[in-house]
Amino acid sequence: MRVPVGVKVGLVSLVVMGAYSGYANYIPQVQSKPPQELSLEGGHVTPAQLVKAGEEIFHTKGTCEICHRVGQKGTRAPDLAGIGARAGKTKPGMGAKQYLVESLLQPAAFIVEGYPPIMPAVDKPPIALNRSEVWAVVAFLESLGGTVDVTLDDIPATVGAGGGGAAAAEVKIPGDPKAGEAVFMGKGTCLACHIAGKVGAGKVGPDLSQIARIQTPDYIMAKILNPAGRGTVAGYPKGVMPQTFGQTLSAKEYTDLVAFLLTLK
Amino acid sequence: MSARRRAGALLVLLGLAVLALTLPAAAQDAAKEPAYRAFPLLGSRLAVWAIAQLHLNFAAFILGVPIFAVIIEIIGWRTRDARYDWLSHEFVKLTFAAFSTTALLGALLLFLFAGYYPKFWTYMSSIFFPTYGIYAALFFAETFTVYLWYYGWDWLSGPRKGIHVALGVLSNLFGTAILLVANSWVTFMISPAGITESGALKGSVWAAINNYTWMPINIHRLIANIVFGGTIAAAYAAFRFLGATSDEERARYDWMGYIGNFVALSAFIVLPFAGYYLGREIYAFNQTMGITMMGGFMSWLWIIQAILIGVLFLGSNYYLWLGMERIPGSERYRRYVPMMIGILAFGFMVWATPRSMVITLDEARAMGGTHHPVLGFLGVMSAKNTAVNMMILTTFLSFVLYRRANRISTRSWAGAGMLIQWAALVAAAVVVIFYGVYGYFVESLVRIGFSVYQVMAVLGAIVVVMAIDIPMFRGARSTGAIRWGTIAPRSQYVLIILAVTFTWLMGLMGFARSGIRQHWHVYGVMVDKSVDAATPAIGYAANVITVVTIVFFALVMFIFWLGGLSDRGQAGAHGHAPAPLIAGGSDEQA
Repeated sequence: MRVPVGVKVGLVSLVVMGAYSGYANYIPQVQSKPPQELSLEGGHVTPAQLVKAGEEIFHTKGTCEICHRVGQKGTRAPDLAGIGARAGKTKPGMGAKQYLVESLLQPAAFIVEGYPPIMPAVDKPPIALNRSEVWAVVAFLESLGGTVDVTLDDIPATVGAGGGGAAAAEVKIPGDPKAGEAVFMGKGTCLACHIAGKVGAGKVGPDLSQIARIQTPDYIMAKILNPAGRGTVAGYPKGVMPQTFGQTLSAKEYTDLVAFLLTLK
Repeated sequence: MSARRRAGALLVLLGLAVLALTLPAAAQDAAKEPAYRAFPLLGSRLAVWAIAQLHLNFAAFILGVPIFAVIIEIIGWRTRDARYDWLSHEFVKLTFAAFSTTALLGALLLFLFAGYYPKFWTYMSSIFFPTYGIYAALFFAETFTVYLWYYGWDWLSGPRKGIHVALGVLSNLFGTAILLVANSWVTFMISPAGITESGALKGSVWAAINNYTWMPINIHRLIANIVFGGTIAAAYAAFRFLGATSDEERARYDWMGYIGNFVALSAFIVLPFAGYYLGREIYAFNQTMGITMMGGFMSWLWIIQAILIGVLFLGSNYYLWLGMERIPGSERYRRYVPMMIGILAFGFMVWATPRSMVITLDEARAMGGTHHPVLGFLGVMSAKNTAVNMMILTTFLSFVLYRRANRISTRSWAGAGMLIQWAALVAAAVVVIFYGVYGYFVESLVRIGFSVYQVMAVLGAIVVVMAIDIPMFRGARSTGAIRWGTIAPRSQYVLIILAVTFTWLMGLMGFARSGIRQHWHVYGVMVDKSVDAATPAIGYAANVITVVTIVFFALVMFIFWLGGLSDRGQAGAHGHAPAPLIAGGSDEQA
């Protein structure tokens, strides 16, 4: 009996698609579940419960494991084994919990040597942890070799205000971005070392094309006035950025420059 | 197409226009309604997923085919070769039949969004409302231009052929503009821009359109549409070849299948580069998203993608090698085939090697970590970039050998020319391998830059080889005419497998594009709070993709059958020139 061409072609197609589907079902199945909101404010919670909740967030909503491992060196981010013990010694003058809170909320404030500044603030979308969740994560990190002593009061009350697409207050800088761009390209000579979107070509310092996306206004303002105090981004030479902008730029030029940098998203 | 079908298609277009104009009102009403409604039985997500993917498949086909159809028409017009004019008309006929189905699926998709995701639709309208009117206008412009292009084929022939070709070009420009507008919506969902932290539009809608992934996806989709159109047209020709009852018919569809595959392959070679660009921009927009995509819960998706692309590379090359069997003189190139199979197979294996394994703790301890001590080195980007660039070079070599299979250059400088060509290919391979190995010894930031050198080396070699090849084989001595129609029937199944695989791959990439947003409708701006907010695992996604692909091919076959009905019993009466004779009549490949 002669099998019609349509049947033969259909069978071949089904076998091919079946093979693809079969293999896709054979390999490990990982589903991405939406995170659950955790609220501990006003309730009583033991340190053990807090650590457990923090560990859960570390593995799920926090998406920390994408870059960080515990007990395994990564190429994107430091190994967190023992972070509870060494957090208090990492940044001079800062205790363990203060350092951990700062690392979660302002990751670029201190970059561990040898790693790129890629960590997003965990209380901002898309991670958008709320205050309770940040508290729990800090407790979990403290538990990795240290003592869990973080309280809810250690977490700023403003944390999580803008999470999940809710309205967040926008920072208004009283500067003129256009004039700031002129400062960037002229008096500030920033373009000699940095790229900022369509302007600048220097590669001595980091590309600033998205600086407003990855850094807070506080950091940007402080970095211009005191570059060394804010540390050097991994992979770039230390001590190159002038320390004298506080003296050479006028107040208007400074605010204009900050306003310009905040447009770079 | 009958007058009734024409009227039906126009009604669909009219409906779309009315829909576009009433959507803002619908969106306002939706704001008072619940955020989600449940689609019966299937659930809303599955309904939207299936219809969106079907719409994308049809849209890719009707946008991709006219691009190369008009190029083929221009070739026929300038060379006065009626075969190309016939072929171009055949290709446009295929897309023409699929036009109204694409529009219907698009309308259905809009109904699903407005009805089952009203809050989401309201938000999208608040940003993109100004583009709706542009989209509708472009749709009308494209439809009428394509109608005129198709129905005016004979009316605008002879001295008026230039006007006809211009219509073809114009319809492609409108089609591409439609693609750009629609892409702005979907890319905004991935990488929103031009909005405040609360999600409101800050200034002009242009900032929202021109987001991080808009241009990379425009380029990627435009190229992928050409590949997709080529593979579907080649599969159609293969189907007709297998069912042909005469040598003449077999020859015609063998040739059509070859052209379809040639088009697909030519565009496919550059597609990975567009993919790199897209990936880079995703990382530039948001590191977390990029890392989630490549190293997070979606990492296994890329292993499946590697297998599919491996099948596409191997299949395309195998088809060319089978095709050489019908070309007298090609025997001298057979000795290269084992080497090319070796490179392709090894490249395929490297590309399909995962970086880290999802394994139990005991297995990890036994292996010394989640990375295999030996094979783990093949799972990183250095190895994969090297593999894919070598596969592209090999495929290009296959094409070059096929191109010259029955031709012997008569140029005095042919020897030197070939030496330079081989030198260019070897130099590119050396650059690709050098940077592939060197990449293991530098930081990731430096390593990413190496892929640019690898790509430039491959593209440079392609340009150099073709720049020499074209003049070298102009006026070449023929070793015999191509015996169109005598190709092994299994080659036609290869064409069908290529079409099925590419369609499945499109479905997989659709899942990847949506999946990287995870539980966000609009990433970082609008959370998905529906019951379907979880992003499914790869197995479930694969099952959906398979079902959608089956439905797509069932619809395509039905539409092609419908399109063929109008030709039956009125050969020659359709107004267009009859199919040309091809069997044994050509020394040229394309």
